[in-house]
Amino acid sequence: MNNFAQYPEIKLLPLYTFSTVTRIIITLLISIAWGVSFGIIAATNKTASLILTPLIDLLQSIPILGYFPMVISFLFALGPLGIEFSVIVLLFTSMAWAIFFGVLGAVRSIPSNVIESARSFGLTGWRYIRHVVLPAIMPATISGANLAWCDGWFFMIAAEYIQYRGSVVAPPSGGLGYLLALTSYQYEDMNLSIVLLLFITFIVVYFNTLTWHRLMDRISTGVFRPISVRSTLRVELSGVGKLGLMTQANRSHSRRLQWPRPFVIASKSLRRYTRIEKVIVIVLAFSFVLAILFLQAHNLPTLGMILERLNEPPAGELGSLPVLITLTMGRLTIAYGISLIVAIGLGVLAAEHKKMAAVIYPLYDIGQGVPILALFPVIFLGLSQLLGQPRAALELTSIIMLVLDMIWYMFLNIVSAIKNIPSEIREVGQIFGFKGLNRIRHIVIPSILPAIVTGSMLSWGTGWNTVIFAEYMPSTNPAVPPLSVPGIGSLLDKAGYEFGNTIILIFILGIIAAIVLAMEGFVWRPLLRKFEKYHVEV
Amino acid sequence: MSVIEVENITKTFTTEKGKLLVLDKVSFSIGNEFVCLVGSSGCGKSTLLRIIAGLEKADSGKVLFHGQSIDQPSPKIAMVFQLFGLLPWKTAIENIELPLEVQGVDKENRIRDAQEYLEMVGLKGFENAYPHDLSGGMRQRVGIARALALKPEVLLMDEPFSTLDELTAKTLRALVLEIWLDPDLPTNTFIMVSHNVEEAVFISDRVIVLSTRPGKVVGEVKIDIPRPRAQYLRDPVYFKFVDEVLELLEKAKEKT
Repeated sequence: MNNFAQYPEIKLLPLYTFSTVTRIIITLLISIAWGVSFGIIAATNKTASLILTPLIDLLQSIPILGYFPMVISFLFALGPLGIEFSVIVLLFTSMAWAIFFGVLGAVRSIPSNVIESARSFGLTGWRYIRHVVLPAIMPATISGANLAWCDGWFFMIAAEYIQYRGSVVAPPSGGLGYLLALTSYQYEDMNLSIVLLLFITFIVVYFNTLTWHRLMDRISTGVFRPISVRSTLRVELSGVGKLGLMTQANRSHSRRLQWPRPFVIASKSLRRYTRIEKVIVIVLAFSFVLAILFLQAHNLPTLGMILERLNEPPAGELGSLPVLITLTMGRLTIAYGISLIVAIGLGVLAAEHKKMAAVIYPLYDIGQGVPILALFPVIFLGLSQLLGQPRAALELTSIIMLVLDMIWYMFLNIVSAIKNIPSEIREVGQIFGFKGLNRIRHIVIPSILPAIVTGSMLSWGTGWNTVIFAEYMPSTNPAVPPLSVPGIGSLLDKAGYEFGNTIILIFILGIIAAIVLAMEGFVWRPLLRKFEKYHVEV
Repeated sequence: MSVIEVENITKTFTTEKGKLLVLDKVSFSIGNEFVCLVGSSGCGKSTLLRIIAGLEKADSGKVLFHGQSIDQPSPKIAMVFQLFGLLPWKTAIENIELPLEVQGVDKENRIRDAQEYLEMVGLKGFENAYPHDLSGGMRQRVGIARALALKPEVLLMDEPFSTLDELTAKTLRALVLEIWLDPDLPTNTFIMVSHNVEEAVFISDRVIVLSTRPGKVVGEVKIDIPRPRAQYLRDPVYFKFVDEVLELLEKAKEKT
């Protein structure tokens, strides 16, 4: 332990801790301000909703790496401040969306009787926002902010350790993510990595219990209960926090999975923008787009440039794309299978045995505090020292990472569904004598099927995001080539980190997006629709 | 001869604010008759029904079924739920079949029985409809058929019509009475929880009135209007009984 002093950075730990925490708090505040204002606009204005919702939906599905090209363009332009700024931008791209969608859903699910009575009392404009909208979005904002907070810690290691064409750009004020990446990628010090990981986990758990649990408790038991009875699918998806399972599960009582039909009524009767306001918004939007186009004009690629870039490395690997996609899908499928079985097993155990629940729930609460991405270098280091086979170690690490990431969503959804099985359905089971397997087969499993589908959707979504990091082990030593396992994720990393080939990066992102959308459209949505009737109307 | 005997049932719930006494030494006995438990909301009448069903355990006291203590649900005592309690992932006929399957009835008999009871509640042709696609009244018909298919001796009903519109409720009340009066059916003891006094007087032989928190028996009214009672709905004798029950309810309120 005492040899930790050999690393110069370790003395800066307090500063690094401070700068990471500050960075995440600043980004959180920006995210809240952005998410709340844009969420309200998108929910109350049809035109804005038409543009914003799909656009933001698209943006949120782009993995953090996809924002690298954009960030890099001003990374070197502004000097040290530019680097700090780009870290915040990167964090923002992984934090902001949950708040936006939470707020959007909450505003849309304000019951029409509340809207109508508010209107009949003459509440319009700012007063309407203040007395109806803001209280209504409070719970969603808090849980969205909490989700953002967790996401921030999750992606911190990726945001604070920016690699560009083989070199590492460190934020001037350092950071915990940077330090962890440094110790495990560069110093390869297992002990220190574990100590740092525990330290980070401790900070996350500390803040969770200190702030979020209390805030969420106050919100859920306090003056204002979430009034949403109907909410859109989106809310269900993005509203699933990774924190405070009990609170989450209790709260999701009022959240049932529903298709976004009801919002039409709500948005119709919601505050309409006057013509002048519309004009202002449109003019603002136009000038914003024009300004970006103007600034970027000299940077915009021509068709020739695009074709040229498509032929640069790693273009050679594009030919084997089907194989790479299959390999990555294989990893995801294995990890999904494991997550599914373990999550259902644990969920059912927790539901059937109160004693098990007393063990499983607290474990969950601590487990979800671990920033999984930060585990990556540590697991890899441990496994490669154990196996002596770096490639095999990376293969195993990537699957472990995927399982750790995917299982939370499955588990959270399953447990909250199990807790929300209506008491009448449980009683029916008892009164008609269902026991053991019969009970699990006829009562428990069918009741949680919709939740399994929702959990699967989320798991695959987050899995695709994580696989990009999991298949590739960066190297900071120019003599050592980075290690990777073949897959579409690692190809993306090569295009981004090693070759800085933006065009190929975007191309691969497009392919991933297409796969995700196809799975959603052809697998999950039909399944959801099929299981929709499983919901017990209470 | 009494079928169900409730002896000194006491039940407390533990809430965040401490212990809450919901039932306080409740005793009565029920024979082959139609009994309604009436009380204002929160008086523990549904809890009492669940204790009779074996779904909940009393803190003290016991419930006897033909002299045997009830401590778990039995197929001899079936229940109809307020929100119907149908499994949304099973069709109407599957919902009726499932408890039979658990009881070990073979497939052929199970389908025949389920079919028969579905017809009895007037749902022929809806065998393969999911609860989702049925109206509230139809769902409750399935709920009743499911309970009866077990050929229970006792049928418990927890505010079975309270979520239905009045017209549907009226039809279903008639259906339940018809079933009760059917000499071919083994189900002869009906216990229904209700907060609708007129419904209770219309449907039952005896109305047991419970006070509010803690629930205690404050009295009972024997309804001896001849059946069928539809013709007495405008009769002063009917209103006399309604008033009598209401009076007991008022008295129960004053006490607390």
